[in-house]
Amino acid sequence: MAETLLSIRDLSIAYEVGSKDVVAVSGASFDVPQGTIVGLVGESGCGKTTMARALTRVIADNARIDGGAMQFDGQDLAALSERDMNALRWRDISFIPQSAMNSLDPVYRVEYQIIEVLRDRGGMRKAQARARAVELFEMVGIDPGRLRDFPHQFSGGMRQRAAIALALALNPKLVVADEPVTALDVIIQRQILDQLRGLQRELGLSVIMVTHDISVVAYICDRTVVMYAGKVVENCDTATLLNEPLHPYSMGLKNAFPDLQSAGTGVLTPIAGSPPDLIDPPKGCRFAARCPFATDLCRNTEPALTEAAPDHHVACHRASEAAVLRETAKDPATWGAVT
Amino acid sequence: MSTLKPFLIRTLQLLLVLWAVVTILFLMFRLMPGNPLAAYIDPTFTAEQQEALIRQFGLDKPLWQQYFTYLGNLLQGELGDSFRYRTPVAERILLLLPNTLILTFSSLIVAYTFGILAGAWLAWKRNSRFEAAALPAVLATRAMPEFWLGMVLLAIFSFSLGWFPAGGTRSAGTSYDSLWQLYTSANFLSHLFLPMMTLAIYSQGLPLLLMRSNMLDVMKEDFVTMAKIKGLSPSAVVIRHGARNALLPVMTSFAIAVGYQLQGNVVVESVFSWPGLGRELVNAVAASDYPLAQGAFLMIAIVVITMNLIADLLYTFLDPRISHA
Ligand SMILES: Nc1ncnc2c1ncn2[C@@H]1O[C@H](COP(=O)(O)OP(=O)(O)OP(=O)(O)O)[C@@H](O)[C@H]1O
Ligand code: SF4
Ligand SMILES: [Mg+2]
Repeated sequence: MAETLLSIRDLSIAYEVGSKDVVAVSGASFDVPQGTIVGLVGESGCGKTTMARALTRVIADNARIDGGAMQFDGQDLAALSERDMNALRWRDISFIPQSAMNSLDPVYRVEYQIIEVLRDRGGMRKAQARARAVELFEMVGIDPGRLRDFPHQFSGGMRQRAAIALALALNPKLVVADEPVTALDVIIQRQILDQLRGLQRELGLSVIMVTHDISVVAYICDRTVVMYAGKVVENCDTATLLNEPLHPYSMGLKNAFPDLQSAGTGVLTPIAGSPPDLIDPPKGCRFAARCPFATDLCRNTEPALTEAAPDHHVACHRASEAAVLRETAKDPATWGAVT
Repeated sequence: MSTLKPFLIRTLQLLLVLWAVVTILFLMFRLMPGNPLAAYIDPTFTAEQQEALIRQFGLDKPLWQQYFTYLGNLLQGELGDSFRYRTPVAERILLLLPNTLILTFSSLIVAYTFGILAGAWLAWKRNSRFEAAALPAVLATRAMPEFWLGMVLLAIFSFSLGWFPAGGTRSAGTSYDSLWQLYTSANFLSHLFLPMMTLAIYSQGLPLLLMRSNMLDVMKEDFVTMAKIKGLSPSAVVIRHGARNALLPVMTSFAIAVGYQLQGNVVVESVFSWPGLGRELVNAVAASDYPLAQGAFLMIAIVVITMNLIADLLYTFLDPRISHA
């Protein structure tokens, strides 16, 4: 197995809201092996962006890393001084944001914004940076003639490609992509994911791909981490997750999204209900209120994340019965009337 | 070039506005009750002399004919003669215009430079004790009437300390070979200082508060967050991306400020006996010197309208979303 590039252990991140804490990520652990795409999937509000941004250590004013470690390439990102962290930003860990429109500065040409990072952070000289910008645009499939455009002159897809070019500028070890294709239509999504996949293989990149869409995971990710209400509930390779999920939430997610490759076929069954309040989470399993298989044990005791099968982590009391539960989960009626 | 067409449209619009101003001025001074020549005509004039005068000024013609004569004259820069000075109005106005422009622009430049820097700084120092002290102070300067502020500065720096002269543009008995020499002389600048500061203090609040609130908004934008994630230096984040974007709306306010400023000039020019258009306008109206008042009005309107055009162009130049639409 490939060497581990990033190893997150017991990471907790809280937002201070008034006198209360919203614990958006609580005790999360997972690894990112070198040269793989790891999906981070879960519903809106489950803490994906919070986790992704923690890796850059540029977090909201009211956010706080509340414990845990992020071992990256031999150092703990959570413990680095601001100065050391800043030295590592973009050179080692870059970021692709969801909305590339607002993440490009409207008053500067796209070329300037690429050159800025190449010069300020990569120590290149102007001519060298110019040539590199052309190369980057070619890599992501934009005509280098468009380098002198302003961001508002780009289409949504082009902006997203430009954001990818920007993220690859300094040959980082890890690219964190926060819903990089969510705002785009399905055809463009696929083109961009293909491109990203190609570049990732070619450059041997490691990527964390944040998405709420399990079909994006299925399309591009080698491994997948499923989050629910701030917790990692399942973590394994993508094929296993799709075919033999152990966690009921993963089983439900699969029913809830169309396939990117055969868009439009099959019935979609959403998971009824909504995730718990993170200010005051329930004491047992956080998914219990929506889980068709919940028992009294589930409602009272929180399941720990354990390695139920080789390289397959799950946090569910009934993981050992998963094969049976999977059959039941295939029936839409199972997900219909959960109270 | 894509920038040329909006420029032409704007210029046409402004010419239209100017034409409206000119027409309103014409109607205002013609339709005012009473004889427009009352101030000019000596009571000892005979009836024939009065009529000769009325003919001479074209006041016996129908209104529309007077209007076209008036427009024609304006196009040639002919504004008539001042009743009071019996000299051409245009001459008088061109003499005073530089004084007004220098006062207006120097004070606005000081106000905007200070306001923009201080506003950005205050946004940077958000929630600090410094901010808690500075904000009320800024609001206080906005509440002070200009004439009062002018008097206070005069009392302190001129009458008490004697650092600056009390009024006018230069000391009595001085003369200069050229206007340029006059305007760059220490003598002129020391006369300029107090009225300029009065206007600057009065005006800095607008750009300051605007800059501060824009900065606070811009610093929350995704591209600023991205600049931090890229590991750019704090100055690159705050100045290159933050302030550069926050500056845009402040530039538009410059045009509005010029309008306010010329209005404020009337007061400040009077307090400091500064021979500018504002003071001249007040005096001309008081003395029923209609040609002069009309000329001064017109000149002020031209300055305001031109500034609007310049501010517009500046904004276009600064915001690629408009210039590269
Ligand atoms: N600045 C903040 N202050 C307080 N709470 C916040 C803040 N940012 C996020 N949260 C809360 O933290 C939780 C996790 O948010 P996060 O943005 O990480 O979710 P996400 O999984 O990325 O969701 P989405 O799919 O909507 O992007 C949510 O409940 C959200 O309301
Ligand atoms: S622990 Fe219980 S409630 Fe939670 S997911 Fe597993 S079965 Fe459902
Ligand atoms: Mg998010």
